[in-house]
Amino acid sequence: MKFAHMSDVHIGSWRDSKMRDISTNAFVKAIDMCIEMQVDFILISGDLFNTSLPTIDRLKIVVEKLQEVKKKNIAVYVIAGSHDFSPSGKTMLDVIESAELFVNVVKGFVKEEKLHLSFTVDNKTGAKITGMLGKKGMLDKYYYQALSLDELEKEDGFKIFMFHTAITEFKPSELELMDSTPLSYFPKGFNYYAGGHVHYIFQNKPEKYGLFTYPGALFPNNFRELEKYKCGGFYIYENDTVTYHPVMIYDVVSFEFDCEDKTVEEVHSFVLQELNKNNVKDKIATLRFWGKLLHGKASDIDFRLLFQQLYERGAYFIMKNITRLTSKEFISVITDLGNNKNIEESIIDENIGNLNDPFFDGEEKRATLQLLQLLSAEKLEGERSVDFDERIKKDILSVLPERLKERI
Amino acid sequence: MNIKGKIIGGSFNKVIIRQKQEENIQLGELLVSGKEKILLQVYDLTYASQLSQQNLELISGMQLEKNADVDFFEQELRNYTLAFAKNLVQLQSNKVSLCKELPLFFSDVREIAKEDFSMLRNPEKRLRIGKLRSGNKIIDLEIVLDGEKTFSEHILIVSSTGKGKSNLTSCLLYDSIDKEYCGILILDPHDEYYGRNKLGLKNHAMKDKVHYYTPYNPPAGAYSLRIHISTLKPSHFNGIVSWSDPQKEAIYSYYKQHKEQWIEALLLSKNKDDENKDYHEMTLAVVRRKLMQILDLKVKDQQVSSQGIFDMDSGKTTVGDVCNKLEKSCKVIIDTSLFSSNVEILLGSLFATEIFSRYKRYKIDGILETKPVISVVIEEAPRVLGKEMAQIGNIFSTIAREGRKFKVGLLAITQIPSQIPREILANMNTKIILGIEMAPERQAIIESSAQDLSDDNRTIASLDKGEAIISSTFLKFATPVKIPFFDDIAQQKRLDFYSNTTINNNINNNQHNIQRHFGGVKNSIAAYDEKTKPTQ
Repeated sequence: MKFAHMSDVHIGSWRDSKMRDISTNAFVKAIDMCIEMQVDFILISGDLFNTSLPTIDRLKIVVEKLQEVKKKNIAVYVIAGSHDFSPSGKTMLDVIESAELFVNVVKGFVKEEKLHLSFTVDNKTGAKITGMLGKKGMLDKYYYQALSLDELEKEDGFKIFMFHTAITEFKPSELELMDSTPLSYFPKGFNYYAGGHVHYIFQNKPEKYGLFTYPGALFPNNFRELEKYKCGGFYIYENDTVTYHPVMIYDVVSFEFDCEDKTVEEVHSFVLQELNKNNVKDKIATLRFWGKLLHGKASDIDFRLLFQQLYERGAYFIMKNITRLTSKEFISVITDLGNNKNIEESIIDENIGNLNDPFFDGEEKRATLQLLQLLSAEKLEGERSVDFDERIKKDILSVLPERLKERI
Repeated sequence: MNIKGKIIGGSFNKVIIRQKQEENIQLGELLVSGKEKILLQVYDLTYASQLSQQNLELISGMQLEKNADVDFFEQELRNYTLAFAKNLVQLQSNKVSLCKELPLFFSDVREIAKEDFSMLRNPEKRLRIGKLRSGNKIIDLEIVLDGEKTFSEHILIVSSTGKGKSNLTSCLLYDSIDKEYCGILILDPHDEYYGRNKLGLKNHAMKDKVHYYTPYNPPAGAYSLRIHISTLKPSHFNGIVSWSDPQKEAIYSYYKQHKEQWIEALLLSKNKDDENKDYHEMTLAVVRRKLMQILDLKVKDQQVSSQGIFDMDSGKTTVGDVCNKLEKSCKVIIDTSLFSSNVEILLGSLFATEIFSRYKRYKIDGILETKPVISVVIEEAPRVLGKEMAQIGNIFSTIAREGRKFKVGLLAITQIPSQIPREILANMNTKIILGIEMAPERQAIIESSAQDLSDDNRTIASLDKGEAIISSTFLKFATPVKIPFFDDIAQQKRLDFYSNTTINNNINNNQHNIQRHFGGVKNSIAAYDEKTKPTQ
């Protein structure tokens, strides 16, 4: 049995069209590599697209590629990722699945508050595949909590579990604040656990489980990832062995400039000197500036001129990062609170005194957080607007303090 | 209210009460004297008689030896019990104040009632301990402490085996689960608090606030306990491994040079002349052996591999995750039942050091007040707070001394308080004393209590299972309490000890939440099913 496992393709990501092209090209190249390596099937563990409704031109490329693999008799199995759903729960994956270009393996039923998943069997190899979709804001945690593990664990044969979530025990240190799911929610005894969502390359075989893998993004999705990984890639599984295959579209060359106690002119001069030493032709260049300038502001540095010089020397694309570049004249306050929840909590903490409403009875923070959560609720599939309104009103009333309810 | 006796003499700390014949005064019982409402506590009981000892011996001899049909004339007047009580506090209409006067001579004393404490107001950040106890009787009055202060100024639970330490700790933890003012880290050497196979903290209505880390077969929702070795620092080993000076220098030097990779670098440094030149190979060999032993690591073909919880791949964020959860007022249980004492302490040290340094930083940043107090529960406390450890110094003794300034406290549990240095015992501002049979242990705790317990030696020895005395700087007097039975609370899934009103709302909300999200899954799965039949 030989299969490919890729994830977080994020077709349509990057604001700049040149970079956006690369993420699409990475997918095209990865599929070509899979065809060339004659895999039996391909797994895509979520976030095939960067948005739930990708543009027609991107969609066309993907559909054509999927048609090509289908003609080669290579099945493609997917799960939806956090980027694949619109706020109303719609996803383009449904359309592509209707065209029978791939199979979404998240199938099952809900019975007595438990979620029972069923397997999709690959005709060619007999591999049994199932998985769990990923949702924004870790809403998928409810599915994991309710997942019935017994029947999944009892099933025999070669089993694959696809998922799109961070696993607490495997999180890299830089993603400490990322919401995650404990390993214990996963069914034991599968041969392969095909992960997505976390953009890092990782393998681990915990006791009683098979091999967990995260291939990372198929193409880096932001400045930091470009700096760190240079390219994306995917795994090939063959006879119990897993190998990582990078997908290189353009070389990435990264520069870091220590601007501590330098003037803007000095920065100009040493940056140019450093850049001139390196070949940037047909490469993506990342330029990271850090430190506190002796005088002048970051905006005084003529990045346009630096970029122009690099483009003249044939660079494909140039990016800069100046988040850690400060000035003695003006030190920006950088609040690194990680995720939205922390930011919300911090803002509530700062402003809680302003509310000063005796009806909240000291429960302002808790009530505010609960209200925020409730107000982010989405309308369910098939739910009437009037029912949705009613549900939200009822939920809101349930979290308000008694005395405030009486006033309302 | 029943009159139980009359004050007939004594002194401030030894008020003598003549017991009324049909009443029964118990050791530890709380009594209230006359109109001035002085609260007295009985600490000793004795027989008394109007007859001389000689006559009593004669009468008993006649009954026993001669079967003589003799009895006392007006026995209730001639033979009685004397109770010795100490002044506790004065119960005034608006407050409870320390007592500085004697109750009126020859005044009546009556049993205590809930209404005597009607002036008390519960603190905003509540920590319930149990109900007021008067002898064996339970008064319907909750003993509630200011939880935030109590946790930050340390709690010591002292008891002999089988007197209810675990039950009390479970109750305290259960009561704190829904409290936003505290996060609690529980190092659980007996794997008893989560309730893997029995009732436990997992049975609380707000179980989302309880996080369980275990190295073995975690139940669904729990976390596998894995710690990446890069998160370990040399200071974490203080008081756990005894390093010689050269060994200590070597590990700190490796840490300085290799930062997070210091353990790996040290273990793989064998035969690397460039790295070893400053240290004798024998020194490094001992350090390697000690590290491999405590961390359960192996080196083969210049590769370090893990055998236990200290891992080379996973667990990079475990320490951070645990601390983040604690900062969100969660209760985190670390199952250390499968570890040696040293590994357990190393783990505790790892988490406690991170929390303490974070909170120190928050204080500098001026945001400490927005954070919940963090308490670290340590069983068999002398292992980390014992006299030997105090000399070496570790994070726990630092927290015991300085923690309250940074809102980090200890909840230490022990059977042998005498092993803990006096200065640390004195820093534990709340002591919950259950039955202690050993006199030296009673003495240690009496000498370091917030209130004068010098007359309570016998009372402490006679505490039955579930009976406790709380001595705390947050209470006016050493308060006798009855601890509830944990299983009763957990079985009924009460939100707290004594109420069951909020819980139903909570359960409903939870179910509603799950149902709502399930709706989404159900619909989407149904949609998939319709469109695509399984290939099987």
